Amino acid sequence: MKFTRLLTLAVSAFALMVAGGVGASAESTLDIVKKRGHLRCQVGAPAPGFYNLDANGEWYGSDVSICQAVAAAIFGDKSKLEIQSVSSQVRFTALANGESDLLSRTATWTLLRDTQLGLDFTAINFYDGQGFMVPKDTGIKSALELKGATVCVLTGTTTELNLADFSRVNNLDISPVTFEDSNVRNDTYLAGGCDALTNDKSSIASIKAAFPNPDDHLLLPETISKEPLAPAVRQGDGQWFDIVKWTVYALINAEELGVTQANVDDMRANSTNASVRRMLGAEGNLNEGLGLSKDWAYNIIKQVGNYGEIYERYMGGGELGIKIGRAGSANELWTRGGLMYAPPFR
Amino acid sequence: MAAVVKSERTAARSAPLSETTVLGWLRKNLFSSWINALLTIVSIYIIYAAVKGFYVWGVADAVWVAKDRRECFDISIDGACWAGVIQWMNNFIYGRYPRGELWRVNLGALMLVLWMAPLWVPRVKDKILIGMSTVFLYPFLAGYFFAGGEKGIFMQVMVTLGIVFLVGNTLNVIIGVSSGRGLREVMIQKLGKQDASDESQRNTILAIFVGALVVVFVLQMWWTFEAVSWTKWGGMFLTLVISGIGIAAALPLGIFLALGRRSKLPVIRVLCTAFIEIFRSVPLITVLFMATTMFPLFMPEGVPLNKLTQVIIAVCLFSGCYMAETVRAGLQAIPNGQYEAAHTIGLGYWGTMGLIVMPQALKHMIPNIVGSFIGLLKDTTLVSIIGLFDVLGMLRSVSQDIPWRGLHKEPLLFGAMLFFIVCFAMSKYSRHLEVKLSAGDNR
Repeated sequence: MKFTRLLTLAVSAFALMVAGGVGASAESTLDIVKKRGHLRCQVGAPAPGFYNLDANGEWYGSDVSICQAVAAAIFGDKSKLEIQSVSSQVRFTALANGESDLLSRTATWTLLRDTQLGLDFTAINFYDGQGFMVPKDTGIKSALELKGATVCVLTGTTTELNLADFSRVNNLDISPVTFEDSNVRNDTYLAGGCDALTNDKSSIASIKAAFPNPDDHLLLPETISKEPLAPAVRQGDGQWFDIVKWTVYALINAEELGVTQANVDDMRANSTNASVRRMLGAEGNLNEGLGLSKDWAYNIIKQVGNYGEIYERYMGGGELGIKIGRAGSANELWTRGGLMYAPPFR
Repeated sequence: MAAVVKSERTAARSAPLSETTVLGWLRKNLFSSWINALLTIVSIYIIYAAVKGFYVWGVADAVWVAKDRRECFDISIDGACWAGVIQWMNNFIYGRYPRGELWRVNLGALMLVLWMAPLWVPRVKDKILIGMSTVFLYPFLAGYFFAGGEKGIFMQVMVTLGIVFLVGNTLNVIIGVSSGRGLREVMIQKLGKQDASDESQRNTILAIFVGALVVVFVLQMWWTFEAVSWTKWGGMFLTLVISGIGIAAALPLGIFLALGRRSKLPVIRVLCTAFIEIFRSVPLITVLFMATTMFPLFMPEGVPLNKLTQVIIAVCLFSGCYMAETVRAGLQAIPNGQYEAAHTIGLGYWGTMGLIVMPQALKHMIPNIVGSFIGLLKDTTLVSIIGLFDVLGMLRSVSQDIPWRGLHKEPLLFGAMLFFIVCFAMSKYSRHLEVKLSAGDNR
C-alpha cells in the first residue's frame, strides 16, 4: 500500500517536472508558430455553426474563421492552418502540453477554468445561453409554464445541472429525460417522447432549422445560463494572448467601422477616417507591440471578413448558417444595443 | 415345402416425397406439428413486417439524389435520404485526403492486392519471398504513396526496393500462371545459362537485380509526391491503415510475448507477464488517451509529435498482448510428447518451436486469431473519440454538416453494412483456412 502511494507520488512528480520543462520553454509561441510555418488551432467534434466538416472534408464555421483570422494575421495567409479536432475530455490538456497553439471551440469561460487549468480566455466572440424548445401545439409560451414537464437533455453536461437548478429555483418539478447522443435526443423529442428539449440556444436553433417542419416548434424566450465563448491560449505568453485577443477585436472593430471583405482595399487606400487608417496599417505603428506585420488587420478582413460577415455566414441566415437572429441579442454590436465591443485601436 | 425365394431384384422405390418435393420439405421442416406450424407463421410474419418496413423506408420511399436534407424532406418526408450518404462517400472512404490525390490511396490498395494475391494462386513460385517482401517492403512503398513529401535516403532505398520487388513479383505471377515456372528459371533460360554452374546462375540473377535497383533508384529521384499530412487521413482508409498495421504487428509480437511468458528465464518471464497483464487490464480507450496526451509530456522538446504514430503504437502493443494470450493457449494445447519428440531428434529451442510446436499450435489458434483481428478492426473505431476522423468519426459527422443536419440513421446503417462485409469476409476466409489446414487430420 505504502509502496503504491510512493510510486504514484514519484510518477506524478516526474510528470509535473517534465510538464514544467515544456511550459518554461524560452521560445515564444509566436516564434514557434512562425518557425513551424502553420498555426495549430484546436476545435472539437463537429458542432453546427462553430466548426463543421463539409462533404469535401474541409472545415467551416465561426470558430474556424477565428482560427483562419489568426493565421491570416500571422502569415498573411489564412490557409497556413492545421485544424485539430480534439475530444472534449482532453481539450485543455492538449492546449497545456503544447499540441495546440490556440483553442477556438465552444468552451465556456468560467472562473474555475480561467484560474486552475493553466489557460487564459481572450476575448468573447459569442454569447450563448441555455434555452428551451417546445412543440407549438402545446401552447407553452414561457419556460416558467413547464410545470411537471419532461425535458430531453444530454447527460453529464452542465446543461443537465442548469436544468435542475432552474427547476428547483422556480418550483417547476421538471423531470429530465437524459440521453448520451444528441441525435437520439432530437428524434425522441420529435416523436413526442418529452414535452420540451433543452440545450444551448445556438444548438437548438440549428436543430430546429433541420426538423421536417421547423415552424411547428418554438424557442422559448428565457435564457437560463450564461455561456460566454472565447478563444483560449496557454497561460504565460502575454504576446500570444494579445495577438489572439486583438484578432477578435479587429473583427469586431472592422464591423463597427464599416470595413468589409469587399471594401477593405478601397478603405485602406481612400478612407479619411483615422481609426480605419490606423487599424488597416495605412498609418501609425499599432502592429509593433503585437510583433506582426503592418497589414495584419488588413489581411484578416481581406481574407476572412469582419465579425458581422462571419456571423451572417455561419450563425445567421447564410446558406451554411444556423439561422440565429442577431438583432436584439447580446451578439449584436454595442452601437446597436448588443455586447460586442472592442477597445479602441490607437 | 418349397422355400420362397425371391428371384428378381425389387425395383428401387423413389425417395419419399418429404425428401424430394418442396411441399414435402416444407411439411417436414416447417409444419411438422401444429406448434411448429404456428411458430413458422409467426416468424414469417415478423420477417415480413421487418423487411417491408425497411424496404418502404430504405428503398421505395428513399431519396437518392438531392442537394440537401431539406430537399429530401420535400421529395419524401418519411423515406431514407441516401443522397447525403452518397455525397459524403469520399469522406467515408478517404477522410479529408485531398480530392485531387485520391488515386494515390487507390493505387496503394491496388498494390497490396497485386502483392498479396499471388500467395493464393497455386502455380506461383517463391511464396516465402513474396510474403516477406509484403511485410517488410509494402508498408514503406504504400506509406510513401500515402504521405508523399521529400524522400530521405532511407525512404528512397525502401521505395526503390519496393518497386523492384513489386514488378518482379507481378512478372513472376504472370510467368507462373502461364507456364508454372518461376521468374528466375525463365530469366536463366532466356540468357541461355541453364547449363552454367549454380554460382554463375546466382551471380547473373544478382546482377539483374542490382541493375534493376540502380535503374529504378535513378528514376525515382525524378518524382516526388505532394506531401499529405496525416491529419488529412481518415475514413475507412485510416481504419484499415491502423488495424492493418495492428494486425501485422500483433502476431509476431504476440508470439514473442507468449514464448517469453513461458520462458524458463525468470527475468524474461516476469517482464513479459507484467507487460501482458498491464495492457490487458486497461481498456483500449485508456491506452489511446495515455498514448496521445501523456506521451508528449515524456518526449524531449522538438521531437515531432504525431498522434497517428502514437495511436498505431498503442494499438500494436494492445493487440500484441491479446494475441500473446491466444498464442499461449495454443501452445498449451500441444502435448508434452511433441516437445520431447523434438528434443529426441536433436532440435534445440528455436527448432522445436519453429518446426514442431508453432505450426501445430497456430493451426489450433486460427479461429481465435481471426476473432481478435475482427475485434481489433472494430475496436479501431475508438480513435474517433480522440479526434481522428476514421470511418465512424465521419459517419457521425454527417448529422452536424449544415446541409445534412440531423441525418444520422442512414450513415450509420451504411457503416454497419460496410463493417459487415469486411468482417464477414475475414471470418469466411478463416473458415476456409481452417478446412484447408486440417485436411491432414481427415485422412
